[in-house]
Amino acid sequence: MPLHEFECSTCIPERKKHAVDKGPGEDLTSALPEGYLNTIPGSISERGCAYCGAKHVIGTPMKDVIHLSHGPVGCTYDTWQTKRYISDNDNFQLKYTYASDMKEKHIVFGAEKILKQNMIEAFKAFPKIKRMTLYQTCASALIGDDMNAVAQDVMDEMPDVDIFVCNSPGFKGPSQSGGHHTINIAWIKDKVGTVEPKITSDYVINYVGEYNIQGDEVIMQDYFKRMGIQVLSTFTGNGSYDDLRAMHGAHLNVLECARSAEYICNELRVRYGIPRLDIDGFGFEPLSDSLRKVALFFGIEERALQIIKEETARWKPELDWYKERLQGKKICLWPGGSKLWHWAHVIHKEMGLDVVSVYTKFGHQQDMEKGIARCEEGALAIDDPNELETIEAMLKLQPDIIVTGKRPGEVAKKIRVPYLNVHAYHNGPYKGYEGWVRLARDIYNAIYSPIHRLALLDISKDEIPTDKGFATRRMLSDANLNEEIASSSDLRPYTGKYDCLPDYMNHTYPDELRKKPAGDN
Amino acid sequence: MKDRIAQLETYIMKHCLWQFHSRVWDRKRQNEGVLTKTTQILCGEPAAHETLEDRCYWVDAVCLADAFKSRCQWLNEMDKTEIKSLMQELKNRIDYLTIDGSLNKELTDVNY
Repeated sequence: MPLHEFECSTCIPERKKHAVDKGPGEDLTSALPEGYLNTIPGSISERGCAYCGAKHVIGTPMKDVIHLSHGPVGCTYDTWQTKRYISDNDNFQLKYTYASDMKEKHIVFGAEKILKQNMIEAFKAFPKIKRMTLYQTCASALIGDDMNAVAQDVMDEMPDVDIFVCNSPGFKGPSQSGGHHTINIAWIKDKVGTVEPKITSDYVINYVGEYNIQGDEVIMQDYFKRMGIQVLSTFTGNGSYDDLRAMHGAHLNVLECARSAEYICNELRVRYGIPRLDIDGFGFEPLSDSLRKVALFFGIEERALQIIKEETARWKPELDWYKERLQGKKICLWPGGSKLWHWAHVIHKEMGLDVVSVYTKFGHQQDMEKGIARCEEGALAIDDPNELETIEAMLKLQPDIIVTGKRPGEVAKKIRVPYLNVHAYHNGPYKGYEGWVRLARDIYNAIYSPIHRLALLDISKDEIPTDKGFATRRMLSDANLNEEIASSSDLRPYTGKYDCLPDYMNHTYPDELRKKPAGDN
Repeated sequence: MKDRIAQLETYIMKHCLWQFHSRVWDRKRQNEGVLTKTTQILCGEPAAHETLEDRCYWVDAVCLADAFKSRCQWLNEMDKTEIKSLMQELKNRIDYLTIDGSLNKELTDVNY
């Protein structure tokens, strides 16, 4: 096993099993780090907790719901608005956050009474919202409040409301991934099958593991609707509570982020016989393959091929403009769980970037299997890195950019490495054909930002050039570019709008596409 | 033979996700389902896709067979017996990488 020992972690010997170098000839049977284990004491992890994983990642993107945490306000505040999972109902789920406001006295005397009071108050404050998710926190779990009983009590008093209880306190699992698991299983156990699905098409899918970060789901919905496919529910970005109770009515589960949502797909297969199709919504080729597979499933392949043709013609020249300028740039692919494998191969192939490292904070060994299988030789794979390890890796690997979340991202900035937020996104959406070009644009803008040239100069010791003017990105990126490519009229930088979503949301879709042609079984 | 299997293996590992389901029983079912149908398609034999489950394997198999044929010209020159033998060796290899030789400790969990 080609284990990688960080110099900064020699005092934590257990860490050695959490990083491997993918060397020549290595495969998954010889190079796979440990994963999804409790963080080793002394290692300052960048992980989130299981409450955060349940509420912030999966529960809260549901749009027509009061999301209430039974715990101190800090728990709900810290899981509020840090991820831009927008919705088409004026972002109700992002605008407000709710807590039962537990304090020390409730730890002693119990907090069920204040919980019930605050649940009713929240429903009365937002009378149009009739659905609630209720999240346990460490504090309410440790004192043993019976949230299910309180929820039932409120539902008895207010018959028009429905409440989902998620018992996933922060300590329930090594990381946020424990919360993903708990809420998946709780949702299928308690809610799926409790509402009859409203079927409007002969082709019905659940789109699972998609959180509508800056509109990813909007773009993907557009492709599905153009094929006549009904997205019965999206788990959970821009998803509706009652649609998600009707997940059992789909023909196919189309799974995007298997890390956070494969559990519910597995259970839907076992309990309702709905198969699971894993797809990639990122990158032209993987997305094209994915659309084709979904369409093939329903016997409407030509519709997918038409979309692929149109979208590729529209956006490929723009992707290639960036590819020419990003060729050979080194990238640390350090997202949360699934993007490390969604992107490991295609970002190299379609943007020309060399992936020098993949890491995951909360991924399991399964995610590393996919990531290591897809990335090129020479990459350093790290599980649950601590801050010192990420700094050591950046100093050693000298990446031109890291793509990650805001916590490690800010650390990167301090050592002058450009960083792009791929959790909440900088200027998403990043899914779909246009989204992939927007990601390439953001990576280009980060790498060639003139500020990084200035930031590398230390005014206390470096000589500051006074004979050079300010350089633009284009001057920097095209300096060593072949003239033929630099002036090519076939290629162009991104020409989409600053906010590309309204155009997608204004599309109309012919009704007849939703019905199978006569004679087609 | 070994080089050819390596080419097919590399394509699967870089482009596909069906081989990385959660548990041993899932991976056995997936590898069997997708690669059996891929073999049938490559050999010009009918591949069942009437049930939802079969259809799901079949769509992955159709795309895989197309990719194999377009990227590995030598496949088009092989006869059925050779293709079946090659694909059996490929399945053995994928089973080894994802199941029998896998270092993933969660594969044997009894629950999802």
